[in-house]
Amino acid sequence: MSLPQPPGDDGAAKSPGPAAGAETVAASSGPQAKKQPPPEKPSDVRRRSRIILSFWLIVLCLGLPIWWQTTSIYRADLPLHEMLEWADGKACRPVFPLRINIQADSLQDQEAQNLLRLTQHALDDLNDFSGHHLRLQLSPPPGHPPESSDRESALTIRLVPGDTATASLDPHEPVLDITYPPNAIPTATSSSSSLATYVAGQLRSTFAEEQATISYLLSTSSMPSESRPLGLSPESAESLAKRATRSLKYAPTYHLTFSLFTSGPLPSSWDIGAAIADYMKPVLTVLSPIHNFTIDTQVQLYATPGVPNEVLNKEDLSSFVNAAEWPLSPSIGGAPTINFVVFVGNQTIAGERAESEHANTGESAAHSWLIPQWGTIYLLPLPDGTAHLSSAALKQPLLTFTSHLLSLLGAPRSGSLPLRLSTLGRIRSADLLLRASSTLGSLARLALALPSISIPSSVADGVSTTMLHLRRACETLGGAEGLAHARVAEAEAERAFFEKSMVGQLYFPDEHKIAVYLPLLGPVAVPLVMGLINELRAWRRRRRERRERGRGKKME
Amino acid sequence: MKISRFFALPALLAAALVAPAMVVEAEHTSNWAVLVCTSRFWFNYRHLANVLSIYRTVKRLGIPDSQIILMLPDDMACNPRNAFPGTVYSNADRAVDLYGDNIEVDYRGYEVTVENFIRLLTDRVGDEMPRSKRLLTDDRSNILVYMTGHGGNEFLKFQDAEEIGAFDLADAFEQMWEKKRYNEILFMIDTCQANTMYSKLYSPNIIATGSSELDQSSYSHHADNDIGVAVIDRYTYYTLEFLENEVRGTSSKKTLGDLFDSFTFEKIHSNAGVRYDLFPGGEDAARHRLVTDFFGNVQNVEVDGSQNTTLLEEDLLSLSRTIADLHHKAEEEEVALTKNKTVGEAATQPRTQFAKPLTDENWWTKKILGATAVAGCALLWGIGSYLEGPGR
Repeated sequence: MSLPQPPGDDGAAKSPGPAAGAETVAASSGPQAKKQPPPEKPSDVRRRSRIILSFWLIVLCLGLPIWWQTTSIYRADLPLHEMLEWADGKACRPVFPLRINIQADSLQDQEAQNLLRLTQHALDDLNDFSGHHLRLQLSPPPGHPPESSDRESALTIRLVPGDTATASLDPHEPVLDITYPPNAIPTATSSSSSLATYVAGQLRSTFAEEQATISYLLSTSSMPSESRPLGLSPESAESLAKRATRSLKYAPTYHLTFSLFTSGPLPSSWDIGAAIADYMKPVLTVLSPIHNFTIDTQVQLYATPGVPNEVLNKEDLSSFVNAAEWPLSPSIGGAPTINFVVFVGNQTIAGERAESEHANTGESAAHSWLIPQWGTIYLLPLPDGTAHLSSAALKQPLLTFTSHLLSLLGAPRSGSLPLRLSTLGRIRSADLLLRASSTLGSLARLALALPSISIPSSVADGVSTTMLHLRRACETLGGAEGLAHARVAEAEAERAFFEKSMVGQLYFPDEHKIAVYLPLLGPVAVPLVMGLINELRAWRRRRRERRERGRGKKME
Repeated sequence: MKISRFFALPALLAAALVAPAMVVEAEHTSNWAVLVCTSRFWFNYRHLANVLSIYRTVKRLGIPDSQIILMLPDDMACNPRNAFPGTVYSNADRAVDLYGDNIEVDYRGYEVTVENFIRLLTDRVGDEMPRSKRLLTDDRSNILVYMTGHGGNEFLKFQDAEEIGAFDLADAFEQMWEKKRYNEILFMIDTCQANTMYSKLYSPNIIATGSSELDQSSYSHHADNDIGVAVIDRYTYYTLEFLENEVRGTSSKKTLGDLFDSFTFEKIHSNAGVRYDLFPGGEDAARHRLVTDFFGNVQNVEVDGSQNTTLLEEDLLSLSRTIADLHHKAEEEEVALTKNKTVGEAATQPRTQFAKPLTDENWWTKKILGATAVAGCALLWGIGSYLEGPGR
């Protein structure tokens, strides 16, 4: 840079510039009169433009990418299309192929084959719901060892000759015993048989509740309508809705809390450990492939119920639990709690007693009621002065609790116990499958709807794991493996959806961004932009001058 | 006014006829309450008193503590300026101590932040969060969300440090709806310009009500001269008045319409607003919801029938016993079988446990990155000093 030389300097006297002369001549003739700096050296001009260029290069090549990198939100790639397909039920049609063995030792192989074919036809005619398919097969003769596929069969039909056609479910095993009159065996040529129709009808009624439940599940989800059943009667739909309301959300573990509340000082102890071992453990053991249970118990004396009335109306029952004072939510561990309360007091339930008096059944009044998704309360009337509740006295409450536990878990009401349990497994796997699919859909819609939410890579991992397990669950639906896969899929989907770091981003309108950036970038940007503009102007002026000079040379 | 009422009557009747069918569909099985105060410091005594009075009321109507999330940013009971230590009152008559001895504050002090509130609603919390601090609702839960504090146009201030916008709130509710975390929500807010806060909501099944319109303040009701500050806001005061006088117990049949009709400008000194359009069935359906559907804990219970179920139950028990025995036997057999098979293999496979770093995400990459950075810096310094050297 060339500095203007001070006026009083020696140099000024030695070499008076043209400006100095002008100053003395016309002091009042305007800006031209000002003292002009000496012309810049071309090397200085070049250097200045390089400086400005380098500033801009740093801003554009370094600053901008860094700013972009540090302020952009990481969004992992999610397979949105596939996720939405799962949610819409296009990726998987839940089909439950139920294998049913027919054990007909008294029949010839040919006859049995024929019967099987006819029964299958009859079944296919009866069936209006493609998602739930019964497939018959002949079981191997008893001499052969059972194959691995034999275990997967949902039901075995044992055909025994008898006098009339009867059917009964074996209480211990998933076996349907059917007797048939000797003349009912279809001949090889007949196209229909009363026995086949009978067997088909029996099978259908056995699985009716399961079928209705699964079709209800599908209809309440967003599955496409083609796989839905055609007709659910309003009342059956209502009872199914009621059951869906009552049953708890699936969890691998439930926490059972047994509480004894007494209105007075007595009884103060109970034999609950023995009672549970006697009356409830067997059912818990049977349920163990599907759920785990943890148990705790408590006793509280002088507990006042939420309703002080002696006779409880139906409306009172829901407010009977004194939520403010009864310690009913232990929040132990992460498992949801099911409450079983025994209340010792003098309360009775009103409506039911009147009804039972009407029916002349003496002292049998209702003692208990079920609160959906919460548990059961049992009113236990005791003679005064009972200090200890024996295991025998707890039998009735615990039996009630047991049956309520089954309905809280969503088990169907009809059928033999083994069948109910296997049905429960299938209903739960369908439920989990649908739930995981809908969670995937929610996540996908969320990712589309909130462009400012960050999606860490763990979410993408979770989604891919979910879809892997969903695919496997869909292939093996109906068996224990399917349930396991559906369980993993649901857990992973939940984990992906509830990813902890997906919340940090708050809504940031554009005005806020300007307010944040302007105080910082404004002062920096002004010299940068002005410098650039000045430089561009000077460059244009230089070009013009050069052109003019060139023209002037030509003129000469 | 009269005439419009007259015309409204048939519509109400129709709604009442339709209502049972809808109730079956939208039955809820649990009630939750999220009660949030967002301001701290002594002169905001009334905001904490607001929240604590609502807390007391919902508890009286049967919502258990485990289903109430209470957020209190400050502790008025233990404030040194409190002339009545250990108590909080919402009325100058000081009849009811709201702090009492049975109160469970879930989020306290500096835990009350926008982030925690949104985490609570969307349940995006870590494994370390106890169940009592989480909103464990499902698609059958009705939720009461009550907020109070200092608000403005489309925002509510949290603790003088940050604010939640109406958009944030709307997005949080939408995430809840997407994940089926509620059946219905009643959103109540008592702040200045409160009605702007729910104007951005867009998720279905929400009834929203607020204390004041845009550019209106929400006023306090009265002050207690001994405590020295205002003890309650008008909107909350008259809500509570309705709840305490009209809704005596859980069997009350008062509807939300009755509650909303009790808000008048003469009482509240600002225009309380209600938003019905998100609710299926609109204004009619929303106004016919019972107050106890949100402020109480009322479900349909199922009473057991006669005693002949006991026989069934005993059958069930004996059956499951035999089945359990069978299972046990089968398992034992299986175990015996597998033992025979794998007795040799098991011995030869000692299990080794590898030590693993706590965070194993690309540990090596991070190491290499760090080393490269250090080497780069050293190189730069070296070049610099080399270039400087010849010049000197």
